[in-house]
Amino acid sequence: MSIRVDGIRKTFGGFAALDDISLNVPQGELVGLLGPSGSGKTTLLRIIAGLEKPDRGRVLFNERDVTTLDVRRRKVGFVFQQYALFRHLTVADNVAFGLRMLPRGQRPGRDAVRARVRELLELVQMDTMAGRYPAQLSGGQKQRVALARALALEPEVLLLDEPFGALDAKVRKELRRWLRHLHEQISVTSVFVTHDQEEAMEVSDQVVVMSQGHIEQIGSPLTVYEQPASRFVFDFLGHINALEGLYDGAVWQSGEARLRLDTHGACPDGALTLYLRPHEATLAKAPAGHAHLPVKLAARSVFGGTVTLELEPRGWGSGVLEVELDRDTWAALAPGRDETLYLLPRSLQTVTCDGDLGPRVAPA
Amino acid sequence: MSSANRPHKWHQWTLVAAAFAAVVVLLVLPLVVIFAEAFAQGAGMVASNLTSDDMIGAIQLTVIVALITVPVNLVFGVLLAWCVTRYEFRGRKLLSTLIDIPFAMSPVVAGLCYLVVYGGQGLVGQWLDDQFNVQLMFALPGMVMVTVFVTCPYVARVLIPLMQSQGTEEEEAAILLGASGWQAFWYVTLPRIRWALLYGVVLTNARAVGEFGAVSVVSGLIRGETLTLPLLIQMLNEDYNTVGAFTAAGLLAAMALVTLLLKTVLEWRQSSKLNAAEETLT
Repeated sequence: MSIRVDGIRKTFGGFAALDDISLNVPQGELVGLLGPSGSGKTTLLRIIAGLEKPDRGRVLFNERDVTTLDVRRRKVGFVFQQYALFRHLTVADNVAFGLRMLPRGQRPGRDAVRARVRELLELVQMDTMAGRYPAQLSGGQKQRVALARALALEPEVLLLDEPFGALDAKVRKELRRWLRHLHEQISVTSVFVTHDQEEAMEVSDQVVVMSQGHIEQIGSPLTVYEQPASRFVFDFLGHINALEGLYDGAVWQSGEARLRLDTHGACPDGALTLYLRPHEATLAKAPAGHAHLPVKLAARSVFGGTVTLELEPRGWGSGVLEVELDRDTWAALAPGRDETLYLLPRSLQTVTCDGDLGPRVAPA
Repeated sequence: MSSANRPHKWHQWTLVAAAFAAVVVLLVLPLVVIFAEAFAQGAGMVASNLTSDDMIGAIQLTVIVALITVPVNLVFGVLLAWCVTRYEFRGRKLLSTLIDIPFAMSPVVAGLCYLVVYGGQGLVGQWLDDQFNVQLMFALPGMVMVTVFVTCPYVARVLIPLMQSQGTEEEEAAILLGASGWQAFWYVTLPRIRWALLYGVVLTNARAVGEFGAVSVVSGLIRGETLTLPLLIQMLNEDYNTVGAFTAAGLLAAMALVTLLLKTVLEWRQSSKLNAAEETLT
């Protein structure tokens, strides 16, 4: 089932939680609503579910207007952030709840319910825990039971609120892959909310980046990362280093630091901020003709194939810069203690003084 | 486990001993005296007092008042707690404060208020008398009304903090799974609040059975007709029927002790359930 959200507005006591939100989710897609807390993503999810009523706008399932349709008739599967399992019921009874609430005519018989519950618990790999109570399960297990319960009525729309929010890093990663896999198996149109960039990038077909009740950008994970539509999106997707300085049409300067940039006239003279992603630079023992950015190593952490370095600018800039090198490059560099190193950016994002994104530039 | 320390200095022990002494002198001793006085002239006198018409009438009336009051306040308390914890509306805080009026107000004042409004000279009372020839005061209806008033906060007050802390997500989950509002209440809300609800019922019942002030104002103290157990105790005491008064008092005290026992069992049950849930987590 496709979902269309059309011009939704929702205010809570004068505060606009959502302002003119429109969104299309094609049949069978897995869409991630990504944004910081307070961006309105959970409110949007709850409006799609019918748990909140929008002040304005429409929600359509398969082009049918369901805005005023009662929650219980929307037939969406919903997974709460804190799972909201019925704590007085066993795992099996939790999963069977929806089936037992069906009107008498549609309600499957006792054996059919039991068979369906087993099938669902097998799907989420929880079939050995059927007799347990929610309090006896770990976070990841509760999550899977909540998912099985949401899928029991074969919804055509599955909504998940911060599905991995309360789990530790390892379980989270595992469940993420598993959800992706599950989605390919059952192909239900799904929307999930997250504040975790990595999660949105890994799981979604489409990412919807939200901030302060607005949609900043909709696109595939690759698009929003490579071609961010706004400063906010660039900022929010992964760590960035902001370099502030002055530009005179050819050279960007800040204290001791100099960069030769050709922006083809796109950036006016004056204040110019450059965004540098940690993996888009390397280090050398000597400055290059086009880049003179002296730094000192402050800290390093080795994790997997990359080495994350914290660099202190020498004679320019203010904050610590973060740069990622691969292990071999780092080993070849092998700097001495307190040795001055030179940062060589490969690609930079310009931010004009009015806060808009300018062109991406490479020093040359 | 508990974070409290064992007392280990002499002044700490003194404090504990003082607390025990106060409890014995103020609470236990009078209770013992009640039973001792009742049986002072032998079990035969107790039995004959227990089977007197006045006593049986009072017991019946007390039970009837409690039997009406408890269900009324059960439903009322659940509704009130539901409104206050599940809906967001203007005046919600006010409503939750108003619930406490019976706690704050002296029961005698409550009785007088009812007398003024529903009595023969009262606005509503006069109209009811004229139109339907119904008299509320100095009869069972009035006594039930004031008892309901005095005991109405108990269930709501027990439920509100619990329902607030539990939140609405499980009910939302139930409705998303196709449950009607009633089904969500019956299959999700009620099982989660049942022990607290029972606890509220026990408290309501204890207060309904023992209520004196408000009931004495509206009962009219008609012997054999509008005397509940607490009122009968007062009456017998004034008649210098010590054994009778103490027998009735003993009966009330016994009811209170049973209530206390029930309350303790319920509390123990609730906390052990919580502990069990926590233990399996770790």
